[in-house]
Amino acid sequence: MSERRPLLAMQQVTQAYSLPRTALFSPPGSFTVLENIDFDVCAGEAVGLVGESGAGKTTLTRILTGMERPQSGHVLFDGTDIWSADQTQRANFRRSVQMVLQNPRSSLDPRMRVGTALLEPMRSLRIEGDHVKRLHEVLDQVGLDRSALERFPHEFSGGQLQRIAIARALMPNPRVLVADEPVSALDVSIQAQVLNLLKDLVRDLNLGLVFIAHDLSVVAYTTSRVSVIASGRIVEVGQPVELFTRPSAPQTKNLVDAVLTVESGLSGTAL
Amino acid sequence: MTLAPTATPAKPKRRRRRRNLTLTIGIVITVAFIAMAMASFFYLPHNPNLPRIPDRLLPAGSPGYLLGTDALGRDIFSQLMVGARTSLMVGAGGALISLVIGTIAGLSAAAFGRMADETISRGADIMLSIPGMVTALVLAATIGSGALTTILALSAFFTPSFTRVIRSAALSVMQEDFITAARLYDRPTWFILLRHVLPNVAGVMIVQFTLYFAAGILTEAGLSYLGVGVTRPSISWGMMLNEAQQQVGISSPLAMWPGLAIVIVVLGLNLLGDGLRDVLDPKLARRA
Amino acid sequence: MTTPPAIEVKNLTVGYEDLNAVRGVSFTLPAGGRMGLVGESGSGKSMTALALMGLLPAGWEAHGEVLHDGVNLVTETDKALSSRRGRTISMVFQDPMSSLNPVRRVGDQIADVIHRHNKVSRRDAMRQAVDLMVQMNLPRPDQLARSYPHQISGGQKQRIMIAMALACYPQLIIADEPTTALDVTVQKQVLRLLNAATRERNSALLMITHDLPVIAAMCDTVAVMYAGRIVEYGPVQDVFRNPRHHYTRGLLDSQPTMDNIALDGSSRLVSIPGMVPPLQRLPSGCAFNPRCPAATEKCRTEMPELGPNGAACWHPVGAVQVVEA
Repeated sequence: MSERRPLLAMQQVTQAYSLPRTALFSPPGSFTVLENIDFDVCAGEAVGLVGESGAGKTTLTRILTGMERPQSGHVLFDGTDIWSADQTQRANFRRSVQMVLQNPRSSLDPRMRVGTALLEPMRSLRIEGDHVKRLHEVLDQVGLDRSALERFPHEFSGGQLQRIAIARALMPNPRVLVADEPVSALDVSIQAQVLNLLKDLVRDLNLGLVFIAHDLSVVAYTTSRVSVIASGRIVEVGQPVELFTRPSAPQTKNLVDAVLTVESGLSGTAL
Repeated sequence: MTLAPTATPAKPKRRRRRRNLTLTIGIVITVAFIAMAMASFFYLPHNPNLPRIPDRLLPAGSPGYLLGTDALGRDIFSQLMVGARTSLMVGAGGALISLVIGTIAGLSAAAFGRMADETISRGADIMLSIPGMVTALVLAATIGSGALTTILALSAFFTPSFTRVIRSAALSVMQEDFITAARLYDRPTWFILLRHVLPNVAGVMIVQFTLYFAAGILTEAGLSYLGVGVTRPSISWGMMLNEAQQQVGISSPLAMWPGLAIVIVVLGLNLLGDGLRDVLDPKLARRA
Repeated sequence: MTTPPAIEVKNLTVGYEDLNAVRGVSFTLPAGGRMGLVGESGSGKSMTALALMGLLPAGWEAHGEVLHDGVNLVTETDKALSSRRGRTISMVFQDPMSSLNPVRRVGDQIADVIHRHNKVSRRDAMRQAVDLMVQMNLPRPDQLARSYPHQISGGQKQRIMIAMALACYPQLIIADEPTTALDVTVQKQVLRLLNAATRERNSALLMITHDLPVIAAMCDTVAVMYAGRIVEYGPVQDVFRNPRHHYTRGLLDSQPTMDNIALDGSSRLVSIPGMVPPLQRLPSGCAFNPRCPAATEKCRTEMPELGPNGAACWHPVGAVQVVEA
């Protein structure tokens, strides 16, 4: 772990939302969602973020992808703070950090052909080049047929749609992929396909992958370093094996205990 | 939620056929109505405003007069044709203006933050709280009655409802992840509205348009019946009802024809709207 | 005299127009037994559950026999079924948020069920409801009974749902993905509770889920569904330890377990290639044949029935392969 050069990093990020006033003249309260978060990912590395719902995963994702500005702290891409970056640096950040969302059905516009949807990032980020060639490259990477381009989202199954969503994220040739619960809406047998695909992409494209989920076993399988988040704080960071065998924070213990496996179920030790 | 008994599996098919039948009847009536209105520009059996005292109060089926004549000997059928023109113009015009304004306002309310939403929604509430008839009467009194006034009055009281419907449809589309994705690419809000939201609420817009078209025809007839709508030489079905009312004792069919015309056209447009709703609803279409 | 089974399903078919989501499903759940129905989306497991409860969506129809408490539920009237629901047969749904009435206090909603099916006064029903909430390990039951659904957590809501389902000591409880919508850390608690509460009342449990570990922990027998048919059926220990159908095998292999996590970063999950076929385009023969590693010509033409080994497969796992490449 010597000389880590994080590609995308959060330093001491704190985020709080103001609550509506309870009375006309009372000062508005505030609600701290994230507190002093440090989080980073290097090229070719897959890191995980686990926590229960309400722990602050979504907010962290929004800040990491630049959709929300943190109250304090920095978000650095390639060493530059994205909120004080100039136009070119900002554009570079936009195309280099892409996202895969949880529900593949809702992440594609039902009235748009897959081909058009895949070109959206190229058009909006004003990326020049041979788009058709890129389309075919990306389709090959995610294992989809070219005939997919002419079809509409409702013609595909959930697993295929998630591949399409991953393809769309890959279009601008990103360096970091942020995947927010990318398999929780998928069937078990399809989950494995998508998890393997993400793993291959990290290896083949030297991508940085941020994998966010509530299920520790899925995160542990995909990543080499996991952060556990609870009530807006990172409570533990470690390698998946360590977390599983020697969880130190009580919140990590809870998550480890929550994992059900077929083996423990059959031996009667699960519940 | 019903339990389907083990009867013949023909039932659901019948249901789908019935849905298609609704749409077909709606289309046939609507097309016939528009054709009648259009034809009135090129051909009329008689001048609908020309009194012919010797031919007054002829029954339907009299030679030369398909549906007979009124108290002044004017041809009923010709009047109905010109009346269709008025209904079409006023109903479609009112619905169209409210569609355009309502869509712009509804989309803005859904997309441009809380201030915009509050302003637009409360504005719509205020407009809705003024009775439509009052608006129409005030407009008629200030700028004079006529087709244009009626269209303005209709737009004034359809627009807030349109705004609300489009706003709520747009809000649910805005929650979808593909909007989040588009935002991630720094797409401006107006672009997201045009590119993603508008096509996804188009179905709602079309259905609402047909329903308000029908409501517009009905309201126009009501206003003309009260004498604040169109006046001769323009002709409206509502006005024909009003004139016929004075002769009901002598010749009741006079009131029947315009009444029937209103009922059929309004029914046709509503059937069209219902049928379109079923066809355009992606959830239903996907299952079939 | 032997007790009749809690439910016996014979050749159940559920369809919409000419599409069948469930194609000839048969199983028997003995009184007090615990069975899992496992499958992916599109396998027909949820439609099977809805058909058993008589809650099929409009346009869907069930054929075949569902014998419960001496009657065939498929031919029962809506009214007879609705008097049965909550009394002899009850259901726990996936989404506790939408299964509770948002404008009524949760205690009242439990009491409603008791009051409707038993000849007890409103006050006694309320007292029983609070007792039930105590049994469900709900904190401060008296106070909680007066809460509205939006004031309590998802896990608590699901416990309320279980309390409602158990209120009248039903012979059968159907649980359709009861923990999928809950936070991971409360899933186990809810499962534990469902487990204990059904055992205590000797209610049979039909657990419908895509989650194999849940079945392994909760059930005695399991039926694996694929494309509307049961492809493997037997005791959980046998089926999960020694799957005979290649689909069951694939499902088990694609589970991320503690073991392959222990491996280094290059470990890969085994996945089933392809996807579940849509109802409109089911392959001929065995519906799994396009994704099956052992498929032969016979699998593409002839549909296998459940054999004595519990699997509907021409070339079950572990058998000597007749045709080698």
